[in-house]
Amino acid sequence: MLDRRSLFAATAAVGSFVGAAFSSRKANAAASAHTYVNGTPAGDVELRGSKGRIERLPTLDLESKHDFVTGFRTFHKKFNRPASKRIEKLLEEKGLDPKGKYSMEQVNELVEKDPLVQMSARTWISNQQITWKILQDHFHENADDYIAEMEAADNVGPGTLELNPDMEIPKYTKHEIHIQPGGYVGDEFAGHIYHYGTNSFYVGAIGDNEQDQIHIGVANRLPLPEDGKVKRVLVMGCGTGQLTTAMAERFPDAEVWGIDVGAPMVRYAHLRANDLGVKVNFAQRIVEDTKFDDGYFDIVTSYIINHELTQDASRAMIAEAHRVLRPGGYFYPVDFRSGGDTGRAYGQYRRWWDHRWNTEVWSREYHSLDFDGEIEKAGFTMNKETKAALPGFGARHAVKKA
Amino acid sequence: MATSKLKTDRPTYASDFIASDVERAVFLGNPVLDNMMTSLIALGAEVWSNRRRMKVVEALLAEKGVTAEMIETYMPTTEQDAEWQKDRDRFIDLTYSPLLREGDLPVSAAFTRENK
Repeated sequence: MLDRRSLFAATAAVGSFVGAAFSSRKANAAASAHTYVNGTPAGDVELRGSKGRIERLPTLDLESKHDFVTGFRTFHKKFNRPASKRIEKLLEEKGLDPKGKYSMEQVNELVEKDPLVQMSARTWISNQQITWKILQDHFHENADDYIAEMEAADNVGPGTLELNPDMEIPKYTKHEIHIQPGGYVGDEFAGHIYHYGTNSFYVGAIGDNEQDQIHIGVANRLPLPEDGKVKRVLVMGCGTGQLTTAMAERFPDAEVWGIDVGAPMVRYAHLRANDLGVKVNFAQRIVEDTKFDDGYFDIVTSYIINHELTQDASRAMIAEAHRVLRPGGYFYPVDFRSGGDTGRAYGQYRRWWDHRWNTEVWSREYHSLDFDGEIEKAGFTMNKETKAALPGFGARHAVKKA
Repeated sequence: MATSKLKTDRPTYASDFIASDVERAVFLGNPVLDNMMTSLIALGAEVWSNRRRMKVVEALLAEKGVTAEMIETYMPTTEQDAEWQKDRDRFIDLTYSPLLREGDLPVSAAFTRENK
């Protein structure tokens, strides 16, 4: 088991790493006067110790309830087959091809009053609401301790943190994506809540991610630039910094940055990277305007962010990635395969209520966009041979022409 | 725009946000049914939380010499058996008696002030 406290104490002594590319950071003011108690940063909240890379949830009850909602998500997959058959039956009754392709609206109208299909949606959403509520309630009830923990870490290295409280936050980012209360920008503990909450998303879907296995796998599967040189890496829309930290672990000599619109997200990302003893620079900035110099990075990547952006924001992100990459560097946005707004009926219905009631506000825009085509239009050359960094998702290895 | 419900004097860096309307969603044709499903899942979380805590207690007891087998094969006394059955019946009555109710009056039914 990783000794996070020892790592933190040893690396924190290095002080605050200051990247060369940006001058307006506000929270990373030099090495802090942070105090330590027995090698542990004062204010470190770790009530039940760590399990590998993750701090255990702070109470047994919370951990057990989280365990329940995780199990319920896996159980809920059992609705898929009967609900799918039910929809096919309803189509047949209407004289329609049950295996045909339909739009979300067509399917939604068909199943609106079907008890089984609606029970499936209701219970999934209820479980999602409970997933967030138990976490938010805990962090709010103990807010002073957790805010103090972040305050104690804000100005401590090995990495840096830049917060921009006066920054204009684009309206499209203010939604409660996944019905997470407050979304990514509106709750002090958005990072804490997102990290633990999404751990339950992975189980039963693409595998356990409690030890960042998924993110580490992605980082290790991303290709090298053709010349093999990786001095600087940027993760756009980095969220809680799991991929960013994994990239810094893969490229320990590189200058690695993670940016996100959500201050609570990068604040938590910084806290956690420091706790893991990994040197990463996090900044509250937007993907459309990263503030970095032209040609600064060798690799620009992202993790399941584009389906949470408007089409315009995705295009702007692609253009910005192209601008900040050096010739021969590459852009690799990891996200779902996109394209098409019709499909098999049950899939369309899942997509509908995920969009409408799980507040995947922009997913329909994403899926109706030729995302690969937009990347090529921006001047990238797509390497079609590269395999998906996240199996089952889109493979987009977009090289900036030399 | 909504704002965080947390009240604190400390700087938080949280901004305003656009709240979801999921709390108004009715999937099952009647918001009461929707609420019951959410309540039932929450109850499951509470029950599992207790069962999981019990597993911790049993594991700790085992370290102290009270093994799982001792718990599994424990024979209640006659008095304990009777007391536990009474408690079980109270539990069942509280939980499942509502299923027997045969409601037939619409909520708009006039108040007749007569016994029916």
